[in-house]
Amino acid sequence: MRRHAGAIVLFGLAAVAPLATRDAYFLDMIVLILMWGAISSAWNVAGGYAGQVSLGHAAFFGLGAYSAAVLTVHWGLSPWIGLVLGMALSIVAGLIIGYLSNRLRGPYFVLATIAFAQVLLITASRWREMTMGSEGIPVPFKQGFWALGLASKVSWLYLTLGFALALYLVQVYLEVSRMGYQLAGVREDEDAAQALGIAGRRLKVIAIAMSAALTSAGGTFWAQYVGFVDPFYVFSIDLSILFALNTIIGGVGTALGPFLGSILITWLEHYLRATLSDIAPGLIGVHLIIYGCLLIVMVRFVPQGLIGALGALFTWRARAAQRERHART
Amino acid sequence: MLALESVTKRFGGLTAVGGVSLDVDEGDLVGIIGPNGAGKTTLFNVIAGYYRPESGRVVFEGRDLTGHPPHEICRLGLTRTFQIVKPFGNLSVRDNVMIGALTRVRSVAAARTDADRVVERCGLGDYAGVVAKSLPIGLRKRLELARALATRPRLLLLDEVMAGLNPAELAAMVELIRRVHAGGVTLVVIEHIMAAIMRLTRRIVVLHHGEKIAEGVPARIARDPKVVDAYLGEEFTLE
Amino acid sequence: MGALPQLVVSTLLLGGIYALIAVGLTLIFGIMRVVNFAHGEFLMLGMYLAFWSFSLWRLDPYVVLVVALPVFFVVGLLSYWLVMKGVIKASHNVQIFTTVGLSIALQNVALVLWTGDYRFVRPWHASEVVRLGGAALNLSQIVAFAVAVAFTGGLMAFMKFTHAGRVMRATAEDREAATLMGIDTERVYRLAWTIGIVCVGVAGVLLSPVYTVYPQAGLQFVLLAYVVVVLGGLGDMRGALFGSLIVAAVETVGAYTLGIAWKEVLYFVLFILVLVFRPAGLFGQRGAETLGM
Ligand SMILES: Nc1ncnc2c1ncn2[C@@H]1O[C@H](COP(=O)(O)OP(=O)(O)O)[C@@H](O)[C@H]1O
Ligand SMILES: [Mg+2]
Repeated sequence: MRRHAGAIVLFGLAAVAPLATRDAYFLDMIVLILMWGAISSAWNVAGGYAGQVSLGHAAFFGLGAYSAAVLTVHWGLSPWIGLVLGMALSIVAGLIIGYLSNRLRGPYFVLATIAFAQVLLITASRWREMTMGSEGIPVPFKQGFWALGLASKVSWLYLTLGFALALYLVQVYLEVSRMGYQLAGVREDEDAAQALGIAGRRLKVIAIAMSAALTSAGGTFWAQYVGFVDPFYVFSIDLSILFALNTIIGGVGTALGPFLGSILITWLEHYLRATLSDIAPGLIGVHLIIYGCLLIVMVRFVPQGLIGALGALFTWRARAAQRERHART
Repeated sequence: MLALESVTKRFGGLTAVGGVSLDVDEGDLVGIIGPNGAGKTTLFNVIAGYYRPESGRVVFEGRDLTGHPPHEICRLGLTRTFQIVKPFGNLSVRDNVMIGALTRVRSVAAARTDADRVVERCGLGDYAGVVAKSLPIGLRKRLELARALATRPRLLLLDEVMAGLNPAELAAMVELIRRVHAGGVTLVVIEHIMAAIMRLTRRIVVLHHGEKIAEGVPARIARDPKVVDAYLGEEFTLE
Repeated sequence: MGALPQLVVSTLLLGGIYALIAVGLTLIFGIMRVVNFAHGEFLMLGMYLAFWSFSLWRLDPYVVLVVALPVFFVVGLLSYWLVMKGVIKASHNVQIFTTVGLSIALQNVALVLWTGDYRFVRPWHASEVVRLGGAALNLSQIVAFAVAVAFTGGLMAFMKFTHAGRVMRATAEDREAATLMGIDTERVYRLAWTIGIVCVGVAGVLLSPVYTVYPQAGLQFVLLAYVVVVLGGLGDMRGALFGSLIVAAVETVGAYTLGIAWKEVLYFVLFILVLVFRPAGLFGQRGAETLGM
């Protein structure tokens, strides 16, 4: 239970937040923190747990966003069907990326994932009959759970909280299960893992496909929540970087890390946007400058992320306390 | 148990292993020696499924393994250790071994029990919770062996597990290998230095430039002029 | 058949310019083994240098070219010391995210300082139409091509004939051996990075009269430069030249047959196919081993 204390506090606070306030701005922030935290967790399944760093995950996010929007706009189908379709398409795309991961390493794999997302970006922005091209698709609002038209922010909060919890549990599963241990072996040393009877390549592909499907689900929720799908946003490299950024800031390969990263990054963005746009509209890019610098500093000096830094702080204080006790006796 | 039928593996123009045949019976403990670059490690890579040979076959318990991937071969009961050790550096010793054990048992709890037993047996009990990358080389070699044992192999290929050890560690490792063998695991042991292997086995195979140049009991091998020639310029002592 | 001369000329011109962007990228990769995701941002900075010099002081980009050399030399050195030096020996992932972070930071510094507006540098030569083998081109394109080719050629000569160039190539071939030979690899990396940045900065200035200047301008070119560099084999300079021509050909022919809208898909698909089937590039092997392939 103790290892989940952080998660219990975090998700617990989110759950009781609507009791304390109905402030739309505040609730919106919580929804987005949970949403980006969950989607970054999905990235973490591939980038952290399987060690396959991708900068093309926006591809899956976009597939999820578009599947639901297109089915609703063209055929009036429920976004839940779109969610399933998006996940199915993303599994196929994930298998392709997974295949690439077995042929390419390091920078080559990263480049391939970027190119993959770019292909989808161009397709979505040019295939006018299906996607309405570069103008993007407004997602029609229809009241009701089946239509994912939740009018109240509180309903959205509980929906995303459920999604976030699910992602947290998926990650915990990857820490304590047989598959999780085997995946850790593959991540650490694929040759050695194979010698121990682990089908390393297949396991990586499975993890990437899982990650893809979950990212896609996040894309569907996001599109329904925001109500608009813009190809240049949902397939953008900036978005792929955001997933990685949240995770790296919070702690790669940890279940809580992506959520911690999301708290910091999402809050920072909202806060800076609000305060800086009061000063001058041109300053809205400042939060991105900070992200960039933060990324450079974190990967170099705090590669374990906030989780690692906090953990180190606690052990350090525990040791200091211990020393103090020793000194007194 | 294991039969190599004139196995050949080339890298570009270089023949790393050329037409090597070898039979290993259940319960054997075979030593393979040869100077650096003789093709010993490459031979293991072929047997364990890391390289596909250009010609020849690898037959294990009547089954042709040629071209099968390493993980399948391991599940059939044949695995290897790496000369350049490959620990899962950021995981604890126990977790390293547990990942091996999970190949035989599906439950994580059972694998942990298994792993603890193997860790203990390999004399790593005091280090079970230590992160693998912080182990000194002697213990890393032991971890390499422990992890492989956890997959419950019937035939185990050991690639220079004794190299780089100090005399005390060496004695312990020899002892450990003996115990593993006594426990019913058939072993093929690569050693660069002959002295170490003399203490272990009665049957030695000598590789040179990828070819098998001699096979037999240590005393005869040591006197074989081809073997002496092969080792010319390198240390070659019986003790 | 009437379109053929036009296609050939366009291919050559585009190829020359892509080459200048790509040689810097491939130089940095070949020697430092770092894939520079911020490469495009230095191109963007070059474009802004040209833009501001032009709009503030009416300086022609070709005059700015002379200033750009020392400016980007300093920019290169600074970014090396501040950012790259500490991650030279780090893992690929650390390096990737370091340059990604640098890219985000630079892009948004430009956004904050100079807004996201599209800017144009249009000196007289940008509207001077020249007819060449049935193709209509503007003078800026032709000059850009000529300077790019001269610059690339100069760089290749530098690598081949000077002592510094030989030392750099030796380091690219084999890091360990270079260290054993007493080569100060740290200095070599610094030089490679700086030269790479100067190349792409100069390219930015050259391209400013031909393209639009905005904070994300680098992205489209850098993705393209990766296609080029991977086609030619990461780290292979001559390969980068061929790669540039291939990409330019795909682009012009693609635009002609499929229309502008779809030509990009064509080279990204080509990119993925090359990555999968010839990861070491169409011609070479270099760089592949260090990446464990
Ligand atoms: N992956 C490889 N690619 C090219 N050559 C290799 C490779 N692996 C081994 N070799 C070459 O094959 C020969 C045998 O190497 P190896 O089997 O490691 O020898 P040993 O283990 O007996 O010292 C050596 O000349 C070595 O350089
Ligand atoms: Mg060897």
